[in-house]
Amino acid sequence: MKYRVKFWVNEEPVELEVSANRTLLNVLRDELYLTGTKEGCGAGECGACTVIVDGKPVNACLVLAPELDGKHITTVEGLAKDGELSPLQQAFVKNAALQCGFCTPGFLMSGTALLQENPNPTREEIVRAISGNLCRCTGYVRIVESIEEVAAQYKGGAR
Amino acid sequence: MGYKHIGKSYARSDAVRKVTGDAVYINDMHLPRMLHAQCVRSPYAHAKILSVDISAAEQMSGVKAIITGDEYPNRAGLYLEDRYFMAKPGDTAKYLGEAVAAVAAETPEQAQAACDAIRVEYEELPAVFDAVEGMKPDAPLIHPDLKNYKVAPIFFPKPDTNISHHYVLRKGDFAQAAESADRVFEHKYYIPHVQHVPLEPHGCLAKYDADGKLTVWASCQSPYAVRQALSVAFDLPLNKIRVISQTVGGGFGAKAGTTLEGIVIPLAKKCKGRPVKLIYTREDEFINAYVRQGMHATIKTAMRADGKILGVHNTFVWDGGAYTEYGVNITKAGGWASAGPYDIDNVWTDSYCVYTNHPVGGPYRGFGMCEIHFAIEQNIDQIAKEMGLSEVEIRRLNGLRPGGFTGMGERLDVAGFQDCLEQVLADIEYDKPSEQISPTKIRAKGIAGGWKSPSMPTNAGSAAILRMNEDGTFFLMSSGQEIGQGAATVLPQIAAEVLSVPPDKITYISGDTDHTPYEWQTVASRTTYCAGNAAKLAAEDLADKLLDLAQIKMGAAKRDLKLEDGYIVHRIYPEKRLPMADFALGISFGDGSGYGGPAIGVGTFTLENNINTDKKTGIAKNHPAAFWTMGANGCEVEVDTQTGHIKVLKMVSCFDAGKVINPALFAAQSEGAMVQALGTALFEELKLKNGKVLNHSFVDYKIPTADDMPELVVKYVEHAEPTGPYGARGVGEPLMVPGAPAIANAVTNAIGVRFTRMPITPEDVLKALRGRKMDGKS
Amino acid sequence: MKEFAYIRPKTMAEAVAARRQHGSRAVVMNGGTDIVIQLRERLIAPDYVIDIKGVPGLREIAYDPKEGLIVGACVTMNELGEHPDVAANYPWLAEAALSVGSKQVRNRATAVGNIVNASPLCDVGTPLYAANATLIIAGLMGEREVAIEDFITFVRKTTLGPEEVVKAIKVPPLRDARGIFSKVSRRSEVDLSSVCATVLKVGREFRLAFGAVAPTPVRLKATEALLNGQKLTEALIAEAAILAKTEVSPIDDIRASREYRLDVVGVIVKRSLSAWL
Repeated sequence: MKYRVKFWVNEEPVELEVSANRTLLNVLRDELYLTGTKEGCGAGECGACTVIVDGKPVNACLVLAPELDGKHITTVEGLAKDGELSPLQQAFVKNAALQCGFCTPGFLMSGTALLQENPNPTREEIVRAISGNLCRCTGYVRIVESIEEVAAQYKGGAR
Repeated sequence: MGYKHIGKSYARSDAVRKVTGDAVYINDMHLPRMLHAQCVRSPYAHAKILSVDISAAEQMSGVKAIITGDEYPNRAGLYLEDRYFMAKPGDTAKYLGEAVAAVAAETPEQAQAACDAIRVEYEELPAVFDAVEGMKPDAPLIHPDLKNYKVAPIFFPKPDTNISHHYVLRKGDFAQAAESADRVFEHKYYIPHVQHVPLEPHGCLAKYDADGKLTVWASCQSPYAVRQALSVAFDLPLNKIRVISQTVGGGFGAKAGTTLEGIVIPLAKKCKGRPVKLIYTREDEFINAYVRQGMHATIKTAMRADGKILGVHNTFVWDGGAYTEYGVNITKAGGWASAGPYDIDNVWTDSYCVYTNHPVGGPYRGFGMCEIHFAIEQNIDQIAKEMGLSEVEIRRLNGLRPGGFTGMGERLDVAGFQDCLEQVLADIEYDKPSEQISPTKIRAKGIAGGWKSPSMPTNAGSAAILRMNEDGTFFLMSSGQEIGQGAATVLPQIAAEVLSVPPDKITYISGDTDHTPYEWQTVASRTTYCAGNAAKLAAEDLADKLLDLAQIKMGAAKRDLKLEDGYIVHRIYPEKRLPMADFALGISFGDGSGYGGPAIGVGTFTLENNINTDKKTGIAKNHPAAFWTMGANGCEVEVDTQTGHIKVLKMVSCFDAGKVINPALFAAQSEGAMVQALGTALFEELKLKNGKVLNHSFVDYKIPTADDMPELVVKYVEHAEPTGPYGARGVGEPLMVPGAPAIANAVTNAIGVRFTRMPITPEDVLKALRGRKMDGKS
Repeated sequence: MKEFAYIRPKTMAEAVAARRQHGSRAVVMNGGTDIVIQLRERLIAPDYVIDIKGVPGLREIAYDPKEGLIVGACVTMNELGEHPDVAANYPWLAEAALSVGSKQVRNRATAVGNIVNASPLCDVGTPLYAANATLIIAGLMGEREVAIEDFITFVRKTTLGPEEVVKAIKVPPLRDARGIFSKVSRRSEVDLSSVCATVLKVGREFRLAFGAVAPTPVRLKATEALLNGQKLTEALIAEAAILAKTEVSPIDDIRASREYRLDVVGVIVKRSLSAWL
């Protein structure tokens, strides 16, 4: 059985017929071809599929497609605006906060959601906000520092 | 010598694609008319396959092809051809999870449903779940036909046993050393199986065209090695197989060899013209990709009273799993390096690779070094304690110095071990006891050293092509894969230094066996070194060709011209200069004629005089290893004596990189290596029971999170590698090697109990503390 | 994931009606963090999934000093943990909620879902056991209220009827209460509890609730009786720690051994009570 859902992805309206047994992750990747959101485990444990739904980071693999009706979703493809990388994306590039890059979209979404919610997080708050995202390459330090750096920019009134 | 681009922290060339979601990984590919594959897997660790009935599955909707082991004509394997890519009817399934059939269907769900409908009859067989038991003469044989398998001449399987390789090293005479020693010690260690956990699971997409061309897209480290394995397995000429590896979401060795590609290809062959895709689940990753082999180590050490190591006798028994792929070579690498970064006159080592009915062992960052150093570096601390000596002094006394000799008797002219050790001791302030903050949370420090050489064929080759565009930009083409380590940034930096152009003018292209030139494999911490040498040679070749043309055009002697910042400049009259781009298509003259043609540089590299060791003794005849990378880690831990939890507060690292091409990427890789080592020291173990992996998800297989990250300090020293590009040697794997033993040593220094098995869990700590209290030693 | 129908009732009556109509062929979904994984791993294969997030009022948290706290069935762990009234009056409950999974999971997972799952190691179980919380359950005949201890009966078993839906958790007001939530796990972030516990001191009464040490979360009644009305001393605490271990029946599993869990029960009792010495 199909369910008609209307929602927004990166501020663009989407209307789809979805099956109940598909997840938000399936819809993004296989139907909208927004493949920046990654599947690392499919079980809500690795954070590679983190997207922002109505302002909150969630694992796209744990949301059923019919639940999407009326939701506003931001994916990694929605972070850069008018061809300019977001401050956090820029910080990741500058600080070599990524290696293989597979977990990177998830970290960017967790970090972006945190900074939206709390522009001045402590290091502990940053760590807690991203501890649902696994990375095997970086040892995390550059990711944490990148988020701190953007927070400091906010503090300095840069944005 | 001052460099323009070497030693500079340029941003990663792939960073923007990776932060925007533009980078395309294997599972991001959607091709028209694509089919999806799923596998039927053996529920037994060792069982004869009596029959496979696909009749019901064939009738199901959406099903396009079904294969069984009957599709596989030939055995394949990197060093020892011991496997088909699927267990064959009539033969045996050798581990729990081995593929016995596969289906391609319109949707993954349909493929799964068809798999569920395939009926397989098994006859369960006695199995081997312990490598030491598996060596015994009465153990069930996993490969009864071992004696007939094709094997590379440097490996020695023992017929009618489960031993796929027995590596022997006999330097000096350990027995004599033991006799003349003041003390002889024997210590045992066990390192369990772990998994690499690249965040991207393995995946493959294959398409077979009507003209017989097979195209394989795979998340793999070594497209040329995959091409070779597939060619052997399916009797296909190499010009009919194209292997493409795009963005690889982490490898750590797990994607070095050929895994699921071998399952997808026969399906694609049966569905001509339609691409077939198979993506592993995380559960598959833990069971059906590769795992790091388990290892039992016994080290006997003959010591002089002053701390001089007179001799060691190592016995390593590797739990290789059902098939060997790289296992025999890890066994050899572990044997090669078994003296550790120490100058020891008498080194005897026996290293055995043993088939078991466990998941297939494969290469894992370190290629045996993490395992053997967990033993070697704890052994030194244990001996120091038992002899009342300083563990630092023992390392200083025995640690390799320039002019010293390795365990294989190879003379080393460059050896930065001592410098790294001193740096680490200083950075962790090893001479200063930890400050204690609580009676139930004990802090202490630990150190460990480590080394590694690339365990590659002595004649492994690399090639690079550098194409110049009309505007003075370039394409550097090689098959050294970017797997996160930074190859796509560092290799252009090397070429940029030669050409004296900014690295962002050079676009790196890799991973397509039809288009990018040969590279043996992206493994063994060899890419900066081998592919780097090829890139440097290609740039030098191109520079030479440009100067040949420039001397004609500029009317100057070639020796008076140089490349500088995008120009060809006269050394004596620097105002005489022309843009390099002017020579991109050759040169042209006033009469309209031209000369030279488009500019292309070619570089090919094989290390010369890299000669195999003596077959009987393992002794080096010249240089069996391309280079040795050495370094050390220090750390400080806090042990909660009530709950047993260990928190690593700080880790420091120093390695001799020869020359660091990109300091930011070097530091980033060092940080990742330390945290990965921390994971194995404290959390990670594949829990196996009767061949079954009990923790095949992130729920129960924990890797470190950001919360586990200690304070990380990264240093390096630079003693140039004479054969390396700009003096560089490989570092990717060695960086991880000393981490786990340093943590283990620190834990012992905190609570006075030695853990000879990793991971060291809260449970182990409490049990050990309770034991200590019962012994009355506390 | 097998195909199923997705039902999104607009009222509690519709939700109950859907339960009645489809019986065991339906599952109720709150946050879905557990259900979706069970569906994916084919551990369950329902024909209907009843998503109650559209039922009005279920996202609400209400606090009244006289009535206590009401937590709607669809309140997420983060909403519960970050709510000012919860943080002020039941900080150990807030801490328990925020100890569950990752931030992403806590934005979906619900406290009620955690309880209805009836896992022995459910993190919000012990604070609710210690607080004598009750569940408000909607059914065909209206609502009923049941003590949490009577609701969870065994591993993944509750007294929830086939035609019922849990509407909210009710936590009574606690005067003069102090509490400590503890969670011991292999990794300190994003892990399941090897042992979890809430130790409350309400006036001169002590309440000790432990998770992952028995088929359900448990209250340590004998230890509580030993402590109630007594002045805490080191000797008394040591005695309590020993007694506590006799009131639990942990098992060996992949996360921890029985022996380790027993040790940790003693440590948690000691550490918690020592804070009030």
